[in-house]
Amino acid sequence: MIDVMLKGLPFLWQGLLVTLEAAAVVVVVALVVGVVLGIGLSYGPRWIAWPIRLLSDFVRGLPLLVLIFSIFYMLPLTGWQISNFASALAALAVFEAAHVSEVVRGAIQSIHPGQNEAGKAIGLTFSQRMLYVILPQALRRFLPPWINTVVDTVKGSSLLALVGIVDLMLSIQQVIGRTFKPMPMYVLGALMYFVINYTLSQISRRLEARFAYVRE
Amino acid sequence: MSGNSTVPLVRVRGLTKSFGSNQVLKGVDLDVMKGQVVSVIGASGSGKTTLLRCVNLLETYDGGSIQVDGVEVGYADANGRRRPRRERELARIRADIGMVFQLFNLFPHLTARDNVVLGLHKVRGMKRTEARQVAEQWLVRVGLADKLDSLPIELSGGQQQRVGIARAVAMSPKVLLLDEITSALDPELVGEVLTVVRELANDGMTMILVTHEMSFARDVSSRVVFMDAGRIAVEGPPHEVFGAAMQTHERLRSFLARIELKRA
Repeated sequence: MIDVMLKGLPFLWQGLLVTLEAAAVVVVVALVVGVVLGIGLSYGPRWIAWPIRLLSDFVRGLPLLVLIFSIFYMLPLTGWQISNFASALAALAVFEAAHVSEVVRGAIQSIHPGQNEAGKAIGLTFSQRMLYVILPQALRRFLPPWINTVVDTVKGSSLLALVGIVDLMLSIQQVIGRTFKPMPMYVLGALMYFVINYTLSQISRRLEARFAYVRE
Repeated sequence: MSGNSTVPLVRVRGLTKSFGSNQVLKGVDLDVMKGQVVSVIGASGSGKTTLLRCVNLLETYDGGSIQVDGVEVGYADANGRRRPRRERELARIRADIGMVFQLFNLFPHLTARDNVVLGLHKVRGMKRTEARQVAEQWLVRVGLADKLDSLPIELSGGQQQRVGIARAVAMSPKVLLLDEITSALDPELVGEVLTVVRELANDGMTMILVTHEMSFARDVSSRVVFMDAGRIAVEGPPHEVFGAAMQTHERLRSFLARIELKRA
C-alpha cells in the first residue's frame, strides 16, 4: 500500500497546486465580498440589508454542488463566455461569501452597542468607527468561524473535479484510473486534505489566543 | 456665536420623542448657558436619559429642536424643510459634544492612553505624538498617571470611568453630557469620579448631567431639573428644588423620599 502511495504521489502535485490556488482565490474573494455584505447586513438601511439577507439565505440553502452546476450550465446561456475554472471558482466564491457575511454579521453583533455609541460620541465617522473600534474587536469573534469557512472552501474545492478541473481530487482519480488500486490513493488524498485543514485550525487556535484581550 | 453670554449654549425647544407608541419626551424646553452645570433628576422612565442622548443624537428626535452653540443638532435646514444630517456633518457636531456613559464604554482593545488618543488623532487631526501628550496630560489630571498603558480590563470601575471622562474632555467639547456616570460603580469608587467632575465644574466646563447622586447635584449644579413623565416638572437653583419646591410639589417630594429610602 505504501509503495503505491509513493509511486502515485508525484502525479498529485499538480492537482494539489490547483486545489490550493483555487482555495486561495476563493478565500480572498469571499473574504472581501463577505465583509462588505456582512457590514451591509449589520448596519445597512432596509433596502440594502434585505436583498443581502435574501441572497445569503438562498445561497446558503443550496447544496454547493447544485450551485456549481447551476452557474456552470446557466452562465453560457446568458452569452457570457468564461472558462470552466472561472465559473466553478465563481460558484464556490458566492457560496463562501454568503457564509462569511453571516460570520461577519455575528461578530459585529457580538460587540456591545455602547462601543458604537462611544465612537459616535467622540466624533468618529461610520468608516472610522468600523476601522478603529468595531472591526478590531469583532476580529477575535470572527477568526474561529472564519477559519471554518476556509476549511470548508478547501473541502468544497474537491467538487471542482466534477466540472472537469484537474485538482487534487481529480488527480487522485486519474491515478486510480491507471493503477486500479483506489484504497491507497484515497487514503493518501484524505491525508493530504487533512494536513492542509489541520494546519489551518492550528493557525486559528494561535490567532485566537493572540487576540484574547478581553476577559470572559 | 460662542462667547455671547445671553444666548444659551444648549437650547432645547418643544422636544418630542416616541419609542413606538410610547411617548417618552412630551415637549421639553431647556436652556443651558455657557459654564452652567445642569443636573437632570427624575425616576427611571421619566425621559431624562433620552433627553441627554438626543443632545448628541445618539437618539433621533421626532419634533422640536436642539441647538448647540446655534447649530441645530439633528437636522439641516434645506430650503425650509428638515433633512437628517449626513454622517460627516453629524460627526463634526458630535466632536464638540462630549459624552460620558453609565457603563464607561471604553474601547477594550486600546490602552487608557490610546482610548484618549483616538479622537484627538483621527477626529481633531493632531499628530500622534501631540495627541499622546494631550492624552497623557488629561489622564494625569484625572489621577491615572500610572495607568497610561493599562488596558480597560486591568482598571477598576472608578479608574475606567475617569478614563472615560478624560476621553471626552480631551476633545475640548463645548458641552459635556454625563449619563448616570456613577450608577455602575461600587459605592466606595463613586467619590473619586465625582471629585473629577467637580473640578471640571470649577474650571467652567458646561455640563448636563443625569444623576441619582442628589447631594452631588445639590453641590455642583447651577440648576436642577426634575423630569416627570416626559416633561420638565420642576426647574430651578438647587436650594430651591431641594427646598421650597420640594414642599409644594408632590411628585418631586415622593421621588426624593424614595431616593433617600434607598440611601438609608
